[in-house]
Amino acid sequence: MSQYTETSRGFLSRIKFSRELVLLGVLIVIVIAMSLLSPVFLTLGNLLNTSRYFVEIGLISLGMTLIIITAGIDLSVGSNMALVSVVVGFSFLGGVPLPLAIVLGVVAGLAAGVFNGLFVTMLDLHPLVVTLGTFAMFRGLAYGFSDADAVSSFPAWFAYFGQAYFGPIPGQLIVFVIAVAVVWLILSRTRFGRYVYAIGHNEEAARFSGVPVERVKLAIYAGTGLLVGLASVIYISRVSTARGDAGLGLELDVIAAVVLGGASIYGGKGTIAGTVLGVLIIATLRNGLLLAGVPSTWQLFLLGVLLLVAVFLNEFFRKEEG
Amino acid sequence: MSGASTTTTATEHSDGPLKRFLTRPEAPALIFLAALVVVLSVVADGFLGASNFEGILSQVVVIGIIALAVNQVVLSGEIDISTGSMLGLCAMASGTVAVAGGGLLFTLLAGVAVGALAGAVNGFLVTVARIPAIIVTLGMLYALRGVLLLVTGGTWVTGVPAEARVLGIGSVFGVSLPIIVLFALFIVMELVNRHSDWGRNVLAVGGNRRAAMLAGLPSRRVRFWAFVLVGAAVGIASVIYIGRAGSVQTNAGTGLELQVIAAVVIGGTSIAGGRGSTLAALTGAVLIGVILNGMVLLGIPGVWQDAVLGALILLAVSTDVLRRKLLGDKA
Repeated sequence: MSQYTETSRGFLSRIKFSRELVLLGVLIVIVIAMSLLSPVFLTLGNLLNTSRYFVEIGLISLGMTLIIITAGIDLSVGSNMALVSVVVGFSFLGGVPLPLAIVLGVVAGLAAGVFNGLFVTMLDLHPLVVTLGTFAMFRGLAYGFSDADAVSSFPAWFAYFGQAYFGPIPGQLIVFVIAVAVVWLILSRTRFGRYVYAIGHNEEAARFSGVPVERVKLAIYAGTGLLVGLASVIYISRVSTARGDAGLGLELDVIAAVVLGGASIYGGKGTIAGTVLGVLIIATLRNGLLLAGVPSTWQLFLLGVLLLVAVFLNEFFRKEEG
Repeated sequence: MSGASTTTTATEHSDGPLKRFLTRPEAPALIFLAALVVVLSVVADGFLGASNFEGILSQVVVIGIIALAVNQVVLSGEIDISTGSMLGLCAMASGTVAVAGGGLLFTLLAGVAVGALAGAVNGFLVTVARIPAIIVTLGMLYALRGVLLLVTGGTWVTGVPAEARVLGIGSVFGVSLPIIVLFALFIVMELVNRHSDWGRNVLAVGGNRRAAMLAGLPSRRVRFWAFVLVGAAVGIASVIYIGRAGSVQTNAGTGLELQVIAAVVIGGTSIAGGRGSTLAALTGAVLIGVILNGMVLLGIPGVWQDAVLGALILLAVSTDVLRRKLLGDKA
């Protein structure tokens, strides 16, 4: 990977290059561009309202950041979201009290994450294959259990999770801020966090240095499953519907946010600050394009292209740094 | 990293034919397929019969043709999960030409050209821009569907004329034409893998890319053409698709990429590259067809289809790991 030698060749390598600073610049440019396109964009009300839509992606991106730092990937997060959604909705429909149904849903998300983690660690399979399999399996279970039907007969108080406001601030934004703080602390201030980077840099070397590679990885996939569970409850509450096609294509937004934030798909690199900026950029783009009246098909196309450009620039600059 | 492959390695030449069969990549899938056919013949009414078998095969022709090409990409150590959207785009292109009265030849050319172009974009981004294939093809899965929706504005292509539907619904000497196309392409791929430089290079590059490069193999060019081949195969498959359906919706091919990858890995081609066979891709596709058919005959609702498919992918890759451990093969 990168070599920590102080060479002073070339223009780019002489600048102290901070990816987060560049991303912040990009975000500011996008915000200015969007406020020119639409007068309502740069209002506090709209900005806070936007946050209602990116918290779900944001929460999952936190877990995905850790997974990608270990050179892994999780394609199953969108399907897992559907599974949680169906478990909550249909256990409630089947007579389980809603609070218990919510707990069951979050546990299902966690269990799905553990399932991924066990396959990755115990069988030493590539996470790409495992989560491609569970991508299909979780979605299939969600469709199967729900018989492709939807539940929306939730009591009024359930709206609290996804529609509550504290003053002007949406409730889930507070949840997100807390989650960001916790994951940031874990990644940058604990031994566990250093293990995560060590595994991503060189898994074999980490193992020989006494890092409990398997346990760390299992914990990361399980933790991501837990975050999917939380995100899913917020999502169901926000749209007041639980159904098997929840979170369709969600993995793209999440992975795009994380790699845009500077995490390397080859492992070893990535920060929570970068990911949060990545989430904000994608959310701002989506919201701004929506307000500017750009059709959603264009958004899909742009997101795909954005993902490719982000990864390309990431790896390009990485070579310049190296 | 033996770099071995369709043929067994030299050290095993003294083993008997049974052991040699068991070390072949597609052996577990073939055994599983045989067992499943026996079980279904007993428990499922209407499974055993020429017309049902023909039904199973024609159901997996589109998946099978694309799987034969994606198999090459996986053998070379890469992956392509953009084929679902690619099929939609190709079907839209070939369908439009067919409706405009282009006839079979130009319909086919349109599908293959659009597919090859999309495949070339994949290949360029992976080999020249050096973006990981999973990211490239995930991005393209969405970007190509976006292109499709933008170009068509959400409208369908309907009323594909009969002369352009021959590949989908025609038959020769009582054998359905799409099935003939599938097996013809299988034979072509098998010949390519056995006798062409490119076919052997694919395995070498997938088995150990560094070693292949040091040996002077054009690793990038080999992988680039594998991606283009997938595009061309999707183009051919798209003509069969419009032939069967007679119309194209904007959501054509959604979720197909997963069935294709499933066919390849269930068949026994290693996702790590360098190990597998053409027969593995075909076996995997047929196996998926038999399973889906069996589910219908046994009255299992279609909503469980994805769950079964996902579980099978996991089962297949797990057996691959166990097989490697049992044989002590590090490849």
